[in-house]
Amino acid sequence: MDFITIVFLVYTFIAFYFFFLFLLIYFQNKNELFYYPKAKKQYSLSVVVPCYNEEKDIGGTIEALLNIGYKGLKKIIIVDDCSTDNSYEIIKKYAKKYSKVMAVQTPKNTGNAAGAKNYGAQFVKTELIGFTDADSYPDKGSVNKMVGFFNNSLVGSVTSTVLVKNRTKFIEKLQAIEYKVIKFSRKLLEFIDSIYVTPGPLAIYRKTAFEDVGGFDNRNLAEDIEITWHLQAKGWKIKMCVPSRVYSVAPDKVKDWINQRNRWNIGGLQTIFKYRNSVIKRKGMLGAFILPFFVLSWLLGLFGIFILVYRLLREAIVRYLSTKYSIGAQTAILTLREINLTPHVLVFLGLTLFLFGLFFTLIALSNVKEKQYNRVGVFTLGFYMIFYLLAYPIILIISLTKFLKGKKTW
Amino acid sequence: MLRNKKRVFWEALLLTLIIFILGMLIGASFERGKLDEIEQYYTKSEILFMDLFALNERIDSDENCGVLMDSNIQLADNIYEEAFILEKYEAAGKITEGLKLAHRKYDMLRTYLWMNTIDISEKCEGEFNSVVYLYEYETDDLAVKATQNVWARVLFDLKQEKGNEIVLIPIAVDSNLVSLDALLKDFEISRYPVVIIDEEHVIEEISSVEDLKMYLD
Repeated sequence: MDFITIVFLVYTFIAFYFFFLFLLIYFQNKNELFYYPKAKKQYSLSVVVPCYNEEKDIGGTIEALLNIGYKGLKKIIIVDDCSTDNSYEIIKKYAKKYSKVMAVQTPKNTGNAAGAKNYGAQFVKTELIGFTDADSYPDKGSVNKMVGFFNNSLVGSVTSTVLVKNRTKFIEKLQAIEYKVIKFSRKLLEFIDSIYVTPGPLAIYRKTAFEDVGGFDNRNLAEDIEITWHLQAKGWKIKMCVPSRVYSVAPDKVKDWINQRNRWNIGGLQTIFKYRNSVIKRKGMLGAFILPFFVLSWLLGLFGIFILVYRLLREAIVRYLSTKYSIGAQTAILTLREINLTPHVLVFLGLTLFLFGLFFTLIALSNVKEKQYNRVGVFTLGFYMIFYLLAYPIILIISLTKFLKGKKTW
Repeated sequence: MLRNKKRVFWEALLLTLIIFILGMLIGASFERGKLDEIEQYYTKSEILFMDLFALNERIDSDENCGVLMDSNIQLADNIYEEAFILEKYEAAGKITEGLKLAHRKYDMLRTYLWMNTIDISEKCEGEFNSVVYLYEYETDDLAVKATQNVWARVLFDLKQEKGNEIVLIPIAVDSNLVSLDALLKDFEISRYPVVIIDEEHVIEEISSVEDLKMYLD
């Protein structure tokens, strides 16, 4: 057995393992996917919205929060991070009109969402503190469904279902699929206490838990990943409320999409390094699963792309030389008998893996019913499965390069 | 609760092992099927060769050269055609080593065939040309790989054009065959791949069909 075959088999084994792990968690907890407990009391809540140059969306976000329908909502604190557009003027207008809305501005631009979020958190006096991105629209009733999880005093944070709001362009449709898969996987991870992110579009924290971890890490590019790991490390439980939905504006340009992914990846790397000792220090599922899972994803992604590029380069060189020599020898560059259509076991394994991945994606999609959007098209789904996912490891390399160069700003 | 959570990891591992082992067994059995097919071809060729070898041993005079040469060419053609099938199956054989061993056995048979061809050409003069192609079976050198690709095409074209006038024998030199190594000692070969025509001309540079034809009678 050659080296490449061994590598392929190891990859297949790991992929099979995670597929079965997720599948088993799904079937064992299928009836609890959409469960949310009824709140024993009306928890007081403030929502902080960090805002930087969001004049297009901030009004809509504030409106969505005003109409969220949760009676315990005391304040909506909009933190303008010294926007250069008209955002702050819009925020002030809302603050003037609605007593619940509070407009604050950071003394100077903090350079990341964590800075603005922490600044806004200073003004919170309630039991719970929620965060919503300035381009996200929580559904009416979403908070009501989330707060019941705080009946358990060990729960430090509750996250929600994040879906894509804009679905006109092809890249937006692809992200709409991806967000549903991420949402589905995150809920499954909840059953093994391994939620690794409480995403910015809508997450609620117990104020004491938030203070216990000292808020968001200002130096981290993915502050929502970092705080989740921090909560896990401190022993807080994190829950996900699937029926609670928030619609977020996804990047509509490839460049913006790459920038967003780089930010997530670099933030992820910063978090891995920060909590690298969690395995030794036995920090619950953070050390037992989340950290190894993240590290393994990075290693497999990078090594996989390295092997792929190496193989493709070798093949290209052989093809080039063969063509060159063929011309010299006045013979055919490619003959029919060289086309080998005999399938081998690795092809079957690869195909099985693809079908498993497709099956998992279809289950994830079937778990989100949306009347206002069209169903996912076959072409979009096929493109997502083959090309979109293949771009992940390439982005990893870009992110790693930026990380090693010391990129730490948004 | 914690025990339940841990259990799912072990259940997933068990399920993965079962599916993975099952997949490997199916794969191995699939490759075994291909190997059985090759073994059948090999056995037929081996019988043909032994028959030819026996005939060669029995004949001392020129009068039966026709039969000898025809049988030799037919056998060489059989083995040459089977090499294509073996090549395809080898590319598809990933988890078992059986096809590699089959390749070595074929190289042994081809070496015998070359020896027999030399023997016949000594008994029966000038009726055919032997073209022996010596290449490296396992090489990481990309230039060598490309050169071998092109040599294989050129020799295929030559065989198509010349048909029964040539006996074409491709042999992998890295099959660890002492008989082949002994045979090659007589030729001063500095690198592979090479083509040896009628045990006289050793051609190291890739040549066109037209160039090769100049070495043939």
